[in-house]
Amino acid sequence: MLSFRPHTRMSEPGRRERVDVADLAAAIERLAADLALAEEPSGFTVVLESDPDMREQRD
Amino acid sequence: MTDWTITTLGGAIAGRQVSPVEVTRECLERIARLDAKIRSFITVDAEGALATARELEAELAAGLSRGPFHGVPLAYKDLCHVRGLPTSCGTATREYFSAEHECTAVNRLREAGAVTLGKLNMTELALGPFGDNAHHGDVQNPWCPGHVAGGSSSGSAAAVAAGFALGALGSDTGGSIRLPAACCGVVGLKPTYGRVSRAGVMPLSWSLDHIGPLTRTVADAALLLGIIAGHDPRDATSSRRGVPYYERLLDTPVEGLRVGLPANYFFDGLDAAVDAAVRAAARILEGLGAEIVSVRVPDPRPVVDVSNVIARAESAAVHARIARERPHELQPAVRARLEVGFHLTAHDYLQALRLRTRYARAFVAEVFAEVDALLAPVIPEPAPALDAVKAGTVDEVVMRMGRFSRLTRPFNGLGLPALSVPCGFSADGRPLALQVVGRPFDEATVLRLGHAYERATDWITRRPALA
Repeated sequence: MLSFRPHTRMSEPGRRERVDVADLAAAIERLAADLALAEEPSGFTVVLESDPDMREQRD
Repeated sequence: MTDWTITTLGGAIAGRQVSPVEVTRECLERIARLDAKIRSFITVDAEGALATARELEAELAAGLSRGPFHGVPLAYKDLCHVRGLPTSCGTATREYFSAEHECTAVNRLREAGAVTLGKLNMTELALGPFGDNAHHGDVQNPWCPGHVAGGSSSGSAAAVAAGFALGALGSDTGGSIRLPAACCGVVGLKPTYGRVSRAGVMPLSWSLDHIGPLTRTVADAALLLGIIAGHDPRDATSSRRGVPYYERLLDTPVEGLRVGLPANYFFDGLDAAVDAAVRAAARILEGLGAEIVSVRVPDPRPVVDVSNVIARAESAAVHARIARERPHELQPAVRARLEVGFHLTAHDYLQALRLRTRYARAFVAEVFAEVDALLAPVIPEPAPALDAVKAGTVDEVVMRMGRFSRLTRPFNGLGLPALSVPCGFSADGRPLALQVVGRPFDEATVLRLGHAYERATDWITRRPALA
């Protein structure tokens, strides 16, 4: 038979946590305002794996 | 023991000048004698280390050598799952984390002949840059007791600096390899995201976590990276790119490399000694033939915001159970940082992940079209006093944490390889460090620059004055 621990929440966020969450959420909202529709998280790996060596172009 | 490096010890063992059992005994004796002051180990596995050393000695007697790590004593941050040893992750719970298989990086080093001395102290759950730990003792800086060792891989850096181990593994989610390496005067490398498998390592934030070496020299870091890098089917994010023989590329001259000194962000509000030491290091590289140029980099502050959202959301998900069921066991600042993640929305998190792609693309394209590497400081000030960083309210402590890691955190968000190399001392003897950052998967150039600088100076010949 399965039993589950009673779900206990962490305490309600304190003043600083509320400020942190609000600040971070506001920053993300502002930064994402002009984000291209095609941008997706997996693009990050593509950026790292496909970085061309720019030395030849510079030469 | 304090004069050996992995490179020289590996050669001496292969040449039968010294045996694996002798060096393992010497490390264990040194740990037993001195670590009560430093607090770098959580678990010392003397019996297991000596048993392994004896087996490796027998292999040598039979004519079998596994290579440069054969018989070399190493130790691992206590968030790596090591066969037969508990993994506390710096918490009060002895076996907080376990995995089906041994940590891949540890296992590769074991197969290469390394001896495991034990598990190293760290900031609780790897959540903090100072290395203080209420459960296992604050790690003391071997150069200046009473000052932070840096975190979260505090024990890894302190153990290498104190001559307890020839090298160590650490993890880096916002600077946790580079900050302690800088504070303790050793070398620390955060490789490119995907270069080293994280399988068998406690996750803190899977989008930002990296595993890497802490060693006495850049050459040792190159050797160690060569063992642990490479694809691992147990970590879907590990890259399939080939792994160069990093150590063979170290002596390629740096002449002709274009190296950027950021004109914005990285030198703002620095301690004067740190500023002067990093600029002096740039002049030394210039003297070796590198072209030093001033570059304006894309503002790293948005990347830091984005990384903070990702780190808080993912760490709260990973550690929800202890945070919800046993929050009283967590240090107040650790609990406070986890708490924020519970209140961010899925929208915030997903937008942060999408933004990260955009910033990484822009940074790589703009910066590495101009230069081959960047030079920056690692820590904004020399290792501060432990009492000072722990003083005040939780809010003040958390703010201090953010300020101390502001120079390393951008490169976790960007996924770029970043090396911390000792570059001098403050007037009162606290280590200073240089950060070398490269294009994705170009650890070879980063190590090459670090090695050239290290060879042109004598910082690594100095040792902390331990009894």
